[in-house]
Amino acid sequence: MRILLVEDDPNLSRQLKQALGDAGYAVDHAADGEEAHYLGDAEPYDAIVLDLGLPKMDGVTVLERWRKDAIATPVLILTARAAWSEKVAGFDAGADDYLTKPFHTEELLARLRALLRRSAGHASPNLECGALRLDPRAARASIDGEPLRLTSLEYRLLHYLMMHQGRVISRTELVEHLYDQDFDRDSNTIEVFIGRLRKKIGPDRIETARGLGYRLVPLPGEATAA
Amino acid sequence: MSAARRRPSLVRRLVILAAGWSAVALLVTGILLTTAFHQASLRRFDLVLSDVTQGLLAGSTVQDGQVVAPLLTDARALRVYSGRYWQIAEHAPGGRMRPLVRSRSLFDQELPVPGEVLASIAADPGKEFYYDTRGPLGQPLRAMAMQVSLPGRAAPVILMAAEDRSPLDAEARRFAYLTAGALVMLGAGILIAVMVQVRVGLRPLFDLRRAIADVRKGKTDRLAGDYPEELEPLAAELNALIVHNQEVVERQRTHVGNLAHALKTPLSVMLTEAHQTPGSLSEVVSHQAELMRGQVDHHLRRARAAARAQAPGERTQVEPVLDELAPTIERVCMPKDVVIDWRAPEDLWFRGERQDLLEIAGNVIENAGKWCKGKVRVTAAPVSPERFTLVVEDDGPGLPPERRGEVLKRGARLDESAPGSGLGLAIVDELARAYGGELTLGDSAMGGLKVELTLPRAEA
Repeated sequence: MRILLVEDDPNLSRQLKQALGDAGYAVDHAADGEEAHYLGDAEPYDAIVLDLGLPKMDGVTVLERWRKDAIATPVLILTARAAWSEKVAGFDAGADDYLTKPFHTEELLARLRALLRRSAGHASPNLECGALRLDPRAARASIDGEPLRLTSLEYRLLHYLMMHQGRVISRTELVEHLYDQDFDRDSNTIEVFIGRLRKKIGPDRIETARGLGYRLVPLPGEATAA
Repeated sequence: MSAARRRPSLVRRLVILAAGWSAVALLVTGILLTTAFHQASLRRFDLVLSDVTQGLLAGSTVQDGQVVAPLLTDARALRVYSGRYWQIAEHAPGGRMRPLVRSRSLFDQELPVPGEVLASIAADPGKEFYYDTRGPLGQPLRAMAMQVSLPGRAAPVILMAAEDRSPLDAEARRFAYLTAGALVMLGAGILIAVMVQVRVGLRPLFDLRRAIADVRKGKTDRLAGDYPEELEPLAAELNALIVHNQEVVERQRTHVGNLAHALKTPLSVMLTEAHQTPGSLSEVVSHQAELMRGQVDHHLRRARAAARAQAPGERTQVEPVLDELAPTIERVCMPKDVVIDWRAPEDLWFRGERQDLLEIAGNVIENAGKWCKGKVRVTAAPVSPERFTLVVEDDGPGLPPERRGEVLKRGARLDESAPGSGLGLAIVDELARAYGGELTLGDSAMGGLKVELTLPRAEA
């Protein structure tokens, strides 16, 4: 397993290289944003540990560029920035996990393991519907290459709609696939979630079949690839 | 400031001044008008009396020492007690007078003349003297007397005429009432006009007040709109103050953030180093580093919160904040699968900064995510125009009532096995208090803890 460690503090870098090496990973180290961007683009890493406050190029920018270059490598952000607004920005840029300094080495290793396991897990192919893309491996969706921010309930709903795109799916069917047995259900919640999805992917991608249910369709002019 | 000591409002001041001035002006006008009217009618009245006397003077003759009055054709002078009288008299000893001839209307009465009038007549013959007296039926009379000499008679005679003045008085009274009524109406009209004028004139001031209230409520972040040249500098200064305030807050936050970031990496190094070289020293370092981290977090957040809660003019829509937080926290909680089901009305606004709502809601929901078995429910709902609640529930083990006080104490950590600094809810409690809100803990129907936050709401 090959890991890219991006950290500008020499002491912390030395310690982390040692800890990651002890845990059995091959570690490359980048001390600034430009080097990190280059390495991440060039080498096939299994995971990246990324600091945000970096010289030359900010960590969030580096991450956004990777994602724009279609680098799907799982990224764990390791930073002193602990505010929720910063965490939200990190995940919006395409991070897979976020750990704030100071931290315990075990926690970093545990999270890294989980990240690698997750990305190795499912091998299901990507789903597409027009400009809409869903990557079940990373549990991530994007539209025109822009990552969508979805809760797991919204993701589940979109996933189900994409698997059955073009078909009208009843509310009852959607509720059953959205919630487990013990979650309270009422059919109004489906409307709430459809509303939220429409806000995020555009109102015309989900058609309402009155009295029957909903149907996911590509926009007119978009190529269909089911 | 107590109501008694407060200075009177501008509106009241202006209205009272204008009303007082108008009242005085109207009163003087009323008095002048009625007086002028009264005098004019009296002069006209006196002319009639003068005519009668002149008629007497022209027509009276002396035959055999007896004064003979002319035949006056005035019917009213013939009818008994009609109210119009005349009389020719002469001086009698003792400052009195004796009637010689009188109008039929007087019947057997005589027209009285006060002593001092009699004296004045004697002193100034040929001059007309007017006076008020009482007639035969107690009628108020306007009377005139004049001393003349008649050819053929040595002793002068006094010509007198009188007429009931009650029609005159009644007319004057009617005029006074009419004038008073008209002036009172005019006064009321002026008062209303003044009030309208003051309200309209001061409207920019009320607009300014409303605009400032909007800034404080968080509807806008600066005073907008055109103000008259007297208020424009004030509005500009207020805007400058608001901007300055925001800059100070921003600068403070930057300093605070820099300090936080500068301290956290060395702390990480200490923790990692201590962990990699076990021993009694590393245990102490490890423990102290943890304490420092807690202190840094606590005081930084506090400083930020205190700086922000004072900054006016901020409001934040609740729905997008939850929309950002829910997916983020689901990922932060990985590898545990946490499903966050959240609901918030679209038109619900928090009166405060987005960063703070993110911190408050983020920490509460993350705490629920840490303890839940897999499900977290978040519900935001308005409770009044001023407040809304944010309820966060989970299906975890919950918290027995007797331990709920501890969890809000700074640094308290109920279970060392759960990740995190243990500061989460205490930080939320402090932030909520900085905004005048509160945090209460209870049992959720889902089985776990229910955290209910009451927070200030801004108008949509």
